[in-house]
Amino acid sequence: MKKSILFLALATAASVSFAQTKKITTSATVSFDATTKLDALPKGDNKTVVASIDTKTGGVAFESTVKSFSFANPKMQEHFNSAGWMDSDKFPTATFKGKITNLADVKFSTDGTYSATVTGDLTIHGVTKPVTTKASIVVSGKTITTTSDFAIALADYGVNGPAIGAGKVSTDPKITVSAEFK
Amino acid sequence: MSEQKRKRSPWIKRILISGLVLLVAGAVVIYLIFTQKFSDTSATKAEFTVSAMDFLNEFQKNDSLANKKYTEKIITVNGRVTETEAADTTINIKMTDSTTAAYIIFAFQQQHLAEAKQLKVGDSVSIKGSCSGGVHSDILETEFVTFKRCAINK
Repeated sequence: MKKSILFLALATAASVSFAQTKKITTSATVSFDATTKLDALPKGDNKTVVASIDTKTGGVAFESTVKSFSFANPKMQEHFNSAGWMDSDKFPTATFKGKITNLADVKFSTDGTYSATVTGDLTIHGVTKPVTTKASIVVSGKTITTTSDFAIALADYGVNGPAIGAGKVSTDPKITVSAEFK
Repeated sequence: MSEQKRKRSPWIKRILISGLVLLVAGAVVIYLIFTQKFSDTSATKAEFTVSAMDFLNEFQKNDSLANKKYTEKIITVNGRVTETEAADTTINIKMTDSTTAAYIIFAFQQQHLAEAKQLKVGDSVSIKGSCSGGVHSDILETEFVTFKRCAINK
């Protein structure tokens, strides 16, 4: 009986500890900029991205619904979701799952700005590739704000629309990810 | 020879003018397509008007059927605000099913952000926007449905 109570207490403590170290937001932002000198239209953003950060393990994850990317121009949004581009009917989400590799350099309990290296798997258009990028982490009280920008080669993810060949869409668009965890 | 040239020239002229007209018309059409912007959602007629919880239930029961029915359509959702969440410099509004934690999240059109910022948790509201569809989140282990270009439905 005593063992059962002890086990229950330990399990509860572990679950509370886990809950405290993992922070989640459903309003992270992913921006996409594939503009070129020939075309200023291919850029958009998604402000309803699900993201998590685990301050104990350094685990980082993002889930972005492709159809949630908003563009100023309707035709550009249609092209972005079409089979020749992101094929969002077939591949509805883009995801990232990785870890902060220099976790010891990031003091989540102390206010400040930290430089982190994040490495993990980025899945776009159904293709998963390893990605390593720098991220800025700002700790202010209980709020953690993360930002990172990096470029991806569309060809690596099997995105080869005719507009890319024609120079109207950048072959290596800039991706900016930001999230505020409370 | 010069007689032949005189006979052909009116036709050549007509062909050249027709070609030029087609070229200009094509350029105008391309210009209009690529400078077009999404219209204000508040002025767009909704294809469906739903209650937030019924809408979420449809997605939780059959995700692919609900996506076929609602995705990329303008929908009015009536419900209660359960959360307001900062998104970069903007704000998102959420309506969550307290039993399953499934939720609808609304990102607003630039011109309607000020209205969204006035909303508080517990407010009953009618929001109109473009449904981006629903997916199951592996992070949250629940279904969520996203909206873009939203406006408060007055």
